[in-house]
Amino acid sequence: MRRPTLLIALTTTALALSACGRDEGGSGADAAPETGEAVSTEDLSGELEVWAMGAEGEALPDLVAGFEEAYPEVSVNVTPVPWDSAHEKFVNSITAGTTPDVAMIGTTWMGEFAGMDALDPTPGSIDSSAFFEGAQGTTEVDGTSYGVPWYVETRMVYYRTDIAEAAGYDEVPTDQAGFHEMAAAMQEQEGVDWGISLQPGQTGSWQTVVPFGWSGGAELATQDAYTLDTPQMVSAVDYFGSFFTDEIADANPPEGQTEATFTDGSVPMFISGPWMMSLVEDFAAEGGEDAFGEMYDVAPVPAADGAESSSFIGGSNLGVFADTENRDAAWALVDWLTQPETQVEWYDMTSALPSVQSAWDDEALTQDEKLAKFGDALTTAQAPPSFPTWEQVAAAFDAEMEKVAKQGLSGEEALQAAQSQADSIGTGQ
Amino acid sequence: MTTATSPRQGTGSRDARRSRSSRPPGAAREERAGWLLTLPFLLLFGIFTAWPVIQSVFFSVTDITNRDLRTPFQVNFVAFEQYAKAFGDPVFRQAALNTAYFVLVGVPLTMTVALAAAVALNTGITRFRSVYRLGFYTPVITSIVAVAVVWRFLLHPDSGLVNTVLGWVGIDGPNWLGSTTWAMPSLIAMAVWRNFGTAMIIFLAGLQSVPQQLHEAAAIDGANAWQRFRNVTVPILRPTILFVSVTTAIGYLQFFEEPFVMTQGGPLNSTISASMYTYQQFSFGNYGYAAALSYLIFVVIAIVTALQFRFLSEKED
Repeated sequence: MRRPTLLIALTTTALALSACGRDEGGSGADAAPETGEAVSTEDLSGELEVWAMGAEGEALPDLVAGFEEAYPEVSVNVTPVPWDSAHEKFVNSITAGTTPDVAMIGTTWMGEFAGMDALDPTPGSIDSSAFFEGAQGTTEVDGTSYGVPWYVETRMVYYRTDIAEAAGYDEVPTDQAGFHEMAAAMQEQEGVDWGISLQPGQTGSWQTVVPFGWSGGAELATQDAYTLDTPQMVSAVDYFGSFFTDEIADANPPEGQTEATFTDGSVPMFISGPWMMSLVEDFAAEGGEDAFGEMYDVAPVPAADGAESSSFIGGSNLGVFADTENRDAAWALVDWLTQPETQVEWYDMTSALPSVQSAWDDEALTQDEKLAKFGDALTTAQAPPSFPTWEQVAAAFDAEMEKVAKQGLSGEEALQAAQSQADSIGTGQ
Repeated sequence: MTTATSPRQGTGSRDARRSRSSRPPGAAREERAGWLLTLPFLLLFGIFTAWPVIQSVFFSVTDITNRDLRTPFQVNFVAFEQYAKAFGDPVFRQAALNTAYFVLVGVPLTMTVALAAAVALNTGITRFRSVYRLGFYTPVITSIVAVAVVWRFLLHPDSGLVNTVLGWVGIDGPNWLGSTTWAMPSLIAMAVWRNFGTAMIIFLAGLQSVPQQLHEAAAIDGANAWQRFRNVTVPILRPTILFVSVTTAIGYLQFFEEPFVMTQGGPLNSTISASMYTYQQFSFGNYGYAAALSYLIFVVIAIVTALQFRFLSEKED
């Protein structure tokens, strides 16, 4: 209650103040090169400052010890950054010119940071075709790649195989109409309250809705504008809404109960990322069910009209900041972190899924059948537009999705509203 | 800095009345010392408060965003476009209405509860007074995050204490934080519970200054307890009431923490507040727009405060 309103204006100014008198190129006026200048890996030396968030920040120092062995003259200093304040810390450091050399960067921040001229374009020596296509797309802003995908995740349908079988389904239908029928049939079973758990709007719900659109051929943007209200997206939003109007999904679900309702069977389906596998299995184990892994499976997001299933690709990228004073060593570290063997080692340490496709041939990743399915889904997964304003447009989209789920708003009206907001926000490029 | 307008700290009132030409020896040195001593504060205040305040006025009439941070002097002047945008922005309008709802219901409620608690502590409850006082004041100094966790438990639609108790008397309680009708009242209840302690302490201090003789005289004249409160206590408390209502209203117009931690502005933007929307715009990097929104809130606070002074201050003229 005691937050001085002016503080917000003040912080803004303080930010800009510290930037007084700095002028490093116009804001996007001069076109950046397609690829960065070449880097040399001869005689690397000096210090590298690396920022990483969350569990990655904690584990990275152990991993980079291997890089320091390979290049004894280079010392790498990792600073862990908490997720909550990470975005602000980056923006402040970009403004003040105190950026690290290398950093882990959330995929949805790329447009914003590149728009602030903060990132160094990726040199040609890094092979962009090694990565999952959707993940590589997150590094590209306005046609130029500013970094590499570091690790990835995607969203799939989790379903209880035992309840599906009772409902007469051996596998999940790949078409959207069939999938809807399956969810309804699941709901008929003993002890099931809701057929599927879908996030009813609010922050991040686009990650559930947009894949239905992508799996029907929708495109969220062209080169220079948002295109949210395409017919494909309208039918995807209507499809999402139908789960709520048919009362197959709860429009007011209790918070944080996904694991509990999935393991007790009261909500036997949901759509989420790979981290949920260990969460539901651990939750079941605490309840004394050790073989829960055999009671559920994952399946691709259902597609519309024979289109290809295409989910949302998330994860984090690695970028080198334009202000780095040790550019060669910085890109050498990024290159080393995206070698298949490093990526497998990193998966063993943190369970972060490799962004390099060939790393998925390693036994560590092929032996787990569910994980392999995630690997397949990653090959077709897509990322949202890398415009600097995407986060803002996504927030507007999420607010409209809430109206779809809770008030039965039609897909057309919801997307018209979202599109008009997207138009007034602009791409920011 | 001119010294002509400087406050002459450390010089006595007699010196202050003399003309500058005949100041006692050492006064100039004392004045210099005074300036030197206040210099650290003035510098910090100037750099981190005064200058940013002035600069944010300039921001609010430009189209600056976080993409312009490195080149803050290359932005476009847009006059009052940002302000005009705010008036046409449906989410901001909703946020302004929500904030008005919160202030109009929350301020009177907070003051009523605080005054009732203060009067009860001042007259009725004599034993354990300090224990009660501490208990009522505890929510004020408790972290909002801890408070939010407890209130979430209380308001949980199925297992929460509130709905459990309602269930005993046969009422099927709503999904408090998940319903557009009940989310704001839930937050108001939480805000009142969190903030009435501050107002109560101030009212308590005010009540201490009501002379006992006046109450006795009124009692002899046959006034009952309510009449004594209405015609003796309240008039003497008038300046205290003004102070509390102004500070509470200023705080409530900046309604931010409760929706931020409890509902994130939902469901369906029914609890998003003006400050919270400003904060969101700031985090999206729309600095020009966020600065304009901040000034709109500032102007509203100024107007509301002026109105309160006008209608609540002493009418003895």
